[in-house]
Amino acid sequence: MLSRVGENLYWMTRNMERADNTARLINAVTLMTLDMPSGATFGWDALLKVAGLDQLFFMHYSEANEDAVMRFLIQDARNPSSIMNCITHGRENTRSFREVLPVESWEWMNELYLYARKELPDQLNRRHRYEVLQGIIRRRQSIVGLLAGTMSRDDAFQFLVLGRNVERAYMTSRILDVSHAIILPSDTPVGKQYGDLLWMNILKALSAHQMYRRHVGVHAGSVQVIGFLLKDPLFPRTLHHCLAEIGERLQFLPHSEQVLQVLRETQAMLRDADVAALAHAGLHEFIDQLQIGLNALHAALCERYFPVSDGPLQAAPDDAEVEE
Amino acid sequence: MRHITCEGYQAGNAFDELIAPDGHPRPLARGLCDYIAELGSEELSGRVAAVDAAIMTAGITFMVYTESGNIDRAWPFDVIPRIIDGHEWERVEKGLKQRLAALNMFISDIYNEQKIVKDGVFPLEVLQDSKNFRAACVGTMPRFGVWAHVCGTDLVRHSDGEFYVLEDNLRVPSGVSYMLENRRLMKRLFPEVFGRYRIRSMDDYTARLYDTLAALSPRPGERPVIVVLTPGIFNSAYFEHSYLAQQMGAELVEGADLVVLDDDCVYMKNIDGLQRVDVIYRRIDDDFLDPEVFRPDSCLGVRGLMRAWKSGNVGLANAPGAGVADDKVVYAYVPQMIKYYLGEEAILPNVPSYLCMYEKDREYVLANLDKLVVKPANESGGYGMLIGPQSSAEERAKFAALIRENPRNYMAQPTLSLSTAPTLCEEGLAPRHLDLRPFVLQSSQLYVTAGGLTRVAMRKGSLVVNSSQGGGSKDTWIVEGGQ
Repeated sequence: MLSRVGENLYWMTRNMERADNTARLINAVTLMTLDMPSGATFGWDALLKVAGLDQLFFMHYSEANEDAVMRFLIQDARNPSSIMNCITHGRENTRSFREVLPVESWEWMNELYLYARKELPDQLNRRHRYEVLQGIIRRRQSIVGLLAGTMSRDDAFQFLVLGRNVERAYMTSRILDVSHAIILPSDTPVGKQYGDLLWMNILKALSAHQMYRRHVGVHAGSVQVIGFLLKDPLFPRTLHHCLAEIGERLQFLPHSEQVLQVLRETQAMLRDADVAALAHAGLHEFIDQLQIGLNALHAALCERYFPVSDGPLQAAPDDAEVEE
Repeated sequence: MRHITCEGYQAGNAFDELIAPDGHPRPLARGLCDYIAELGSEELSGRVAAVDAAIMTAGITFMVYTESGNIDRAWPFDVIPRIIDGHEWERVEKGLKQRLAALNMFISDIYNEQKIVKDGVFPLEVLQDSKNFRAACVGTMPRFGVWAHVCGTDLVRHSDGEFYVLEDNLRVPSGVSYMLENRRLMKRLFPEVFGRYRIRSMDDYTARLYDTLAALSPRPGERPVIVVLTPGIFNSAYFEHSYLAQQMGAELVEGADLVVLDDDCVYMKNIDGLQRVDVIYRRIDDDFLDPEVFRPDSCLGVRGLMRAWKSGNVGLANAPGAGVADDKVVYAYVPQMIKYYLGEEAILPNVPSYLCMYEKDREYVLANLDKLVVKPANESGGYGMLIGPQSSAEERAKFAALIRENPRNYMAQPTLSLSTAPTLCEEGLAPRHLDLRPFVLQSSQLYVTAGGLTRVAMRKGSLVVNSSQGGGSKDTWIVEGGQ
């Protein structure tokens, strides 16, 4: 398979996974704000931190209120990670390798794009926003299902799964990180109760709540939730699972030894982490280390498989193919 | 609600493909007209809306270059098909094969012995000024003596009911993906009507294209590695490049994905290293193909590609230099070529042509600019043309000056009355002018598509069918043995 195609596949799923994750996050947070105890206020800027977009946001906006943050995360053209931009990029990526995917994938991708383009540019009220974002998640998941059901497990497929899991690992690490950014009035009974709520909401933001209840328990304390999101081997959005999946995909790809070596270092760090201690102090610093590991993994992947990249596609002269 | 039916349809003076001069449907169109009447206006409108939605979802688009940026436009498709009698088509098919065979013999001859020049049938001066003659190809003989493996021949039907050849596109003809998509859309949205006709299938085109390309592989026996070389995602025909690669299971590559090594073989840059490429279906113009030989500033092509091709290490379709016969002045000599190389009379007639390089012709053209269509020899896509009867005195003066300045570069033809067919417009079914582009393949075998891409000038009275200038398209049915 062409290196350029591999790279586009990898970025396509990263883009689509990011759009999907952002949509889930926004919907979870919207529900979360409805549950807030009186006296506590939700800092919308925490959401920007989760997405890793707080600096970019404040270059364009002065205040992080709900309208501004939603507009920025969902449809602002100046935010390269806005849901609309991710879907647009994902579609453009797909256009460049239609021939390696099952035939319907392009139509479904295009349909998702047209849906987003039609529904997103308006000012969205909360109720409508919830429905539209659900519509995006559902359409994106149909594509994932289509590929799972109709695509050969060839190199192209491995790059799709790689991109998805790298993006997911980043997202889960950022969501864990945000927990420290939310300052609670913890010396009151309300604060204690809200602390449980916070960890439950973090699970919800990752669509992990139901599986957590089933496999861990109904109570969401910091040690259990941090332990679950870092180390659970079964839930597909935990760091353990994402890294394991990446390792498995790399086994199928040619000459992956060096990339695997970089991956193993991060896996070892994760395995050795003392969750109880982290819940008490040092979670933020630990997650910094994890993200440095993910950056190294991404760099190793690019160096191994996409060495010819010239950056973004350049426009070809109009007369390169005379339309005869 | 507008009333949509073939009754009361006002055909103009041109030949109409579906409706006879007496206002009744031609025999082969009766079933279709009945079907449209049975559907009723409301149902038809609903299905047209469904077609439009399907085109958007399928992303069947082409890029239009405008001053305010490039627009990815939906493919304009008219749901009323064009019907051609199967017997009539057999003759057209023979004519197209005959024509391409002779053109390929001509190109081989021109780059080698030039017997046709020595025998006084084809004048050397035409060649000397040809923009598409590639000196780098002299002395080369590709496999089967075939240079143009994929040809799109533009046909028009005149008011005498006869098909004439308007031009042969031998460089990188496009449109075949739209022909195939039009048929798929028709089947999906009007399945019932296919039960009433025996319509020749065109599904096998991509398999035939694959075979045509595979026959060029320098390593016979193995499954050849075939790639489609595109200028990239911003090209107006990118949809088609991607479509054909997908349909053939070939790799879609850009110039930067390929490299020619010291062994003069072409390789593509894969995730696990380099892989040898056997055949390239290139959709990049000669000029951009190899910066070592042609335009040195091209970043779309592959350095060393010409070396690899001339050493016989890679098949290239269409071959570089094939465009020498894709020239509107050379065109005028095709009937003589057919006679010279094949000893046959041309089955499909040319449109009478006046070559401005000859004084007598030039005087006639300059005196009759208001009646003629003037075309530059090497342009395509309908650019740089003068349509005499629709032109202003100012435009005619401008062209007269251009012709005097560079007579070799211009030829003129009488204004043909392009045939019409009922087309769904604002006012209901109205006649719009058409042409037809069948696609002809040649390597070890000759093949012609069953029908072709019918292009429609969507504006009333317009004769310009090019998609870059507002043209649309129709599904084209070759109907076997009546209904």
